[in-house]
Amino acid sequence: MVNAIKGCYIECDIPMAQLIVHMNESMPNAHKFIIHVLDETRLFVQENAVDMIRKKIHEFCDSNTFEKPSA
Amino acid sequence: MSSRPDRAKGRQSKRHKHIGSQDELSSKKFYATGGEEDEEELLVFTEEQDEEGGDDGKKRDFSKLDLKLDHVNRPMWVCADGRIFLETFSQLYKQAYDFLIAIAEPVCRPESLHEYNLTPHSLYAAVSVGLETETIITVLDRLSKTKLSNDIVDFIRASTLNYGKVKLVLKKNRYFVESPFPEVLQSLLRDDVVARARITLNQADMGLNFSVSKGPSEGGEAHQEFLAEDDLAAVTEEKEVHSFEIDPAQVEHVKQRCLPSALNYPMLEEYDFRNDTVNPDLNIELKPQAQPRPYQEKSLSKMFGNGRARSGIIVLPCGAGKSLVGVSAACRIRKSVLCLATNAVSVDQWAFQFKLWSTVRDDQICRFTSDSKERFRGNAGVVVATYNMVAFGGKRSEESEKIIEEIRNREWGLLLMDEVHVVPAHMFRKVISITKSHCKLGLTATLVREDERITDLNFLIGPKLYEANWLDLVKQGFIANVQCAEVWCPMTKEFFAEYVKKDNARRRQGLYVMNPNKFRACEFLLRFHEQQRGDKIIVFSDNLFALREYATKLRKPCIYGATSHQERTHILNAFKHNPQVNTVFLSKVGDNSIDIPEANVIIQISSHAGSRRQEAQRLGRILRAKGKPKDRGPGGAEEFNAFFYSLVSTDTQEMYFSTKRQQFLIDQGYSFKVLTSIPPADTGPELSYFNKNDQLDLLTKVLNAGDEAGGIEQLEEDVDDITQLKARRTIGSMSAMSGAHGMVYMEYSTGRGQGSGQGKLKKRDPNKPRHALFKKRAKNARYGEFDCNIRCSMKGALVDLVH
Repeated sequence: MVNAIKGCYIECDIPMAQLIVHMNESMPNAHKFIIHVLDETRLFVQENAVDMIRKKIHEFCDSNTFEKPSA
Repeated sequence: MSSRPDRAKGRQSKRHKHIGSQDELSSKKFYATGGEEDEEELLVFTEEQDEEGGDDGKKRDFSKLDLKLDHVNRPMWVCADGRIFLETFSQLYKQAYDFLIAIAEPVCRPESLHEYNLTPHSLYAAVSVGLETETIITVLDRLSKTKLSNDIVDFIRASTLNYGKVKLVLKKNRYFVESPFPEVLQSLLRDDVVARARITLNQADMGLNFSVSKGPSEGGEAHQEFLAEDDLAAVTEEKEVHSFEIDPAQVEHVKQRCLPSALNYPMLEEYDFRNDTVNPDLNIELKPQAQPRPYQEKSLSKMFGNGRARSGIIVLPCGAGKSLVGVSAACRIRKSVLCLATNAVSVDQWAFQFKLWSTVRDDQICRFTSDSKERFRGNAGVVVATYNMVAFGGKRSEESEKIIEEIRNREWGLLLMDEVHVVPAHMFRKVISITKSHCKLGLTATLVREDERITDLNFLIGPKLYEANWLDLVKQGFIANVQCAEVWCPMTKEFFAEYVKKDNARRRQGLYVMNPNKFRACEFLLRFHEQQRGDKIIVFSDNLFALREYATKLRKPCIYGATSHQERTHILNAFKHNPQVNTVFLSKVGDNSIDIPEANVIIQISSHAGSRRQEAQRLGRILRAKGKPKDRGPGGAEEFNAFFYSLVSTDTQEMYFSTKRQQFLIDQGYSFKVLTSIPPADTGPELSYFNKNDQLDLLTKVLNAGDEAGGIEQLEEDVDDITQLKARRTIGSMSAMSGAHGMVYMEYSTGRGQGSGQGKLKKRDPNKPRHALFKKRAKNARYGEFDCNIRCSMKGALVDLVH
């Protein structure tokens, strides 16, 4: 019988995919959200995790961006 | 559109990175001003303000400023908050620039529109080079497109009210406090400290009478050409000067009393060297082939504006000939010179520069470092020493004790201080208190410090006398035209996977520096510049592990702290003269002290966090003008003749540091081009680390290197090296910061608190019988014996680094 799982398909660059994989690994088992790692740049994840992923990636990028302090 | 000052600010506060041709685009926008559209533009702009309104409106609303009728001909916008914007395409740019640089602090100087800021410090500097309050206001008003607001006028009046009213002059070895305003001197004398320091000839004279003499006149400064005739007459007129004498022993105290914190009449120091008959003359002159360039002349004219020597700081880019300015100043004053540099190598270079540019004889110049202690004979001469040697507080050898005694007892005509930005303030205080000098000149290229302790220099040495505009020097061909580029190297999958792991926090630096894509980019650039352009390349890496890995893999020579002097000289000679050796790898020892004029390409693979100064100093290594003068500059045979690449691993901390580091150069008008396709996508196995297996091997190596990979070099070789002290204070190895290995060691030694005296911990041989004391300790210790031993043997080698 065919099993269908609803989820979200993410395509990103190699490092970001690794970041998402890392997020997934640091979660407790019950909260793991990656359904399938398709290849280096493509992932299939649970839909409800998407907002969290987006937020975490934003945080990560912000921490690597320098903003000139305004005088 | 862009004639709005606030627009320029908005632009500047964003990231100043232009990708490719966007750069040209945005600068073209600025050229659109100047023309007749201005009137129209202004209309648009006021309307916009009305629409926006709100809280933002208050700050950005400039509609109240009255635009003068002939504003098109005037070069600056002066805002009420002290910000000034200068159009560099104006016909009056040159004159306006000379004036502005004297009264205001440059904030950002890109190609078309400069931003300056009026601050109390900058006005202090203005007054000290002889500008008067009213002159500042008149000229500013004349150059401004808009009427000066009252706020600005009040601000200038208030800031300059007390500055420059009082001068401390050393004449015939007697200190005088001088002022054109007798009432100021009277108020000074009401102070106890000052009154006690005063020397009077007879008791009857104790009143408030001052000796009166004709003061020197100001002249020969460029901005005065701009003052219309009527003003000029007023400025050059001779003035009466009132003075009283003070006790030489009390000079320091009097100076301190006069600082803004107390009496608020900061003293300017001037040295009337022509009339100094007490100190013997030093018979040196500039050699005829030493031709100071226009900007060098200008900086000297600020220093010797009225025939006396003023103390202060001159800021010129690296490679623009700071040493010639220093030597010229020494040749004008013609008294004994004490020249201080940061380390032994630059001491040698200064001695060489003195011999190169001036007629100083070999026996008149001597070096004083930890390696060479030369006594100097005769009654006047040049002594070149390091800051550390002079300020050193501990016990010295007998020989150097004698020399330092001589330095202390002598009166120096000029105290020349190189790289003033690197020296911590307390060391300056010490040096200045030890040496008696009539005039102090500080030289630097980068007046920035991450700890913002620059302002101390204002009072310790003197105000900033001159600061050159980098881009102007590039245009005139005095320094190389550098193409700056930031090369983005994506992390590979495996490296990034390790990078994000929490327990790899201290290996992060190692991971992003050793990123195989970065290595390939570096190799590609090396090949391109070596083979196709025949350039000479310096590769910088602060990370020692990476430095060695890169250099070995690419078979290039490398120099770092532990490299012996002999080997260094050998490598550098090969680099200079051998056509086979075109690349050299340097750790941060190369930042300041190693002079390699041949190099014209820099590739930076790792750096000291977000240090703006390091970035500028490194760029300075290739700024010395290259090629034939006619080929230089825009329109020459080749537009760029030097290249500065920063290799950055994307999505890592390095991106943050990289942008931060660039800020100083961006403020000087440089723009960084972002390159994303180096090496090009079609390059295959001809560059290293193409195979996944090779990459994985490298990864294992980095991970196993552990602390070393994240470690930053500690320069131990040179006792005189001040940068070393700074580095120690601000950074440590990553693991030391996280406290990891320190903790293990602490745990072990807590028992009896004897840890401090211990050196290296030896690995214990488990077969040997233990001493009773250790047995007892092991029982008490929280960790079991086995655990303890393992930990010690692992960390033993690092323990002495921590303590």
